Amino acid sequence: MNHLSPEDLVAHLIDADPTIAVHVATCPECQEQVAWIREATGQLRAAAPSRWTETAQCLSEAAVAAFVDGQSTGAAHEATVAHLAGCGRCRAMVAAVARLATTAAVAREAPAARPLWRRWQVPVAAAAAVLLTVVAWPHGNDQIGTGHRAPTITAAAAPVPLAPVAAVADARVLRWSAVPGADRYHVTLFDAGGRVRYETQLADTVAALPDSVALVPGQSYLWSVEARIGWDRWTSSPLTEFSVVRAPRR
Amino acid sequence: MGEPWIAPLEAGDSEAAWDLFIERYRRLVFSAIRHYARDYDDVMDVFAHVCTALRADDFARLRRFLAEPDHRAKFSTWLVAVVRNQTIDWFRQRDGRKRLTALAAALPPLRQRIFELVFLDGRTHLETYGLLRARDRPDLSFHDFLGELTATYRAVSAGRQGRLLVELSGPLPDLPAEAPEDDPATRPELSALLTKALDALPAEDRVAVQLYIVEEMPAEHVARVLALPNAKAVYNRVYRALATVRASLERVGVHRGDL
Repeated sequence: MNHLSPEDLVAHLIDADPTIAVHVATCPECQEQVAWIREATGQLRAAAPSRWTETAQCLSEAAVAAFVDGQSTGAAHEATVAHLAGCGRCRAMVAAVARLATTAAVAREAPAARPLWRRWQVPVAAAAAVLLTVVAWPHGNDQIGTGHRAPTITAAAAPVPLAPVAAVADARVLRWSAVPGADRYHVTLFDAGGRVRYETQLADTVAALPDSVALVPGQSYLWSVEARIGWDRWTSSPLTEFSVVRAPRR
Repeated sequence: MGEPWIAPLEAGDSEAAWDLFIERYRRLVFSAIRHYARDYDDVMDVFAHVCTALRADDFARLRRFLAEPDHRAKFSTWLVAVVRNQTIDWFRQRDGRKRLTALAAALPPLRQRIFELVFLDGRTHLETYGLLRARDRPDLSFHDFLGELTATYRAVSAGRQGRLLVELSGPLPDLPAEAPEDDPATRPELSALLTKALDALPAEDRVAVQLYIVEEMPAEHVARVLALPNAKAVYNRVYRALATVRASLERVGVHRGDL
């Protein structure tokens, strides 16, 4: 019988691959391996050091960011790794920043920039050629360089909320006017207390509220739409208020 | 860096620089804050706290970042790190011990104690177990403790600050499916042996194990920060590190089932 590779065993431990699970279920040797790794994992987690203790040697936010971006190199990288090996606080910060920076809601607001990876050096001429190609080619979030979000163009046409507006009998569908050249809309629904009740991005000019968003008759809600009218440029509608009227009693 | 707010900042026009900066990054800052706080008032207050921190001492934080010898990190990643730290800072300042304790008011007494030790005092799980046995429940088995710990995490996670509290207190250890033969007296000793075996590994291997297993970072992220070629290399590195630890433990008479 072919046993699982170390990579498969460790990956299965976290990601629970069903194909691997079938093999493990029928293979005593692999079961023993998985059981040991699982025990060691549990013990490591139980023995994790406190994350609350900050020392003078703890990493700066810039050092953590460079490490998370895969940009720390040379002696600085070695010093960072050596510190992380013994510091629960900084390891937690690295994991949290990596997680937060790649969370969809945060990532979509991050400027479309990616640092040049110095770790794998390329000939200068080739790098220049790649850079020229990238700059000349309109990209989304994969653009290389240090460009960042451009300011909102306030003079551009803004989307106009069409429905619901004011008191309406039904408000399960939000509609707004199309903006010439817009390829994406970001719609946000707030309750009267300013809490975000729903938000989504889509290419259409209609958004149906999911059933999980309950609108209470008689209460006020606000919504707005932003239209993306160019690379990293958005134009916003005014906040529009509406309420759902109570159904008449029969 | 191609940032329009840098020129006015360096020219001494701080307010113009701030206007350009906040216009550009307002949405990113709000998104990062909303990862931890859902309440509208909290979000607005944390936003104000972040702005104050960034503007403090004539924009000292931003100036320090700009003064780095070369801008190795993406500015947005750095800003996310700042926002995360300031959000934690704000919750700690505002909530304090009294308000956080109110979160645990509905829990049974043992879970309240666990909440206090883990989430307020920042004790590790093993320290918490040791303190509970020494002061509150001498008969508490480790298996039962893990069950109570799990229930406490579950209750805390349901609250609006749960994500932040759990992030600060670390991942929950796996609850064994069956109660092991529990010998609480030896558990701290086993933990010390495991820590010692882990400490004998090269720093990079230790970081790979800790980030992947304890911090639950995706293997792709671990590969990127440690300059490994891919996720498969991380799995391999973790396996080899654990095998080394296992061999070290077996040399001192600790075998599977003892852990």
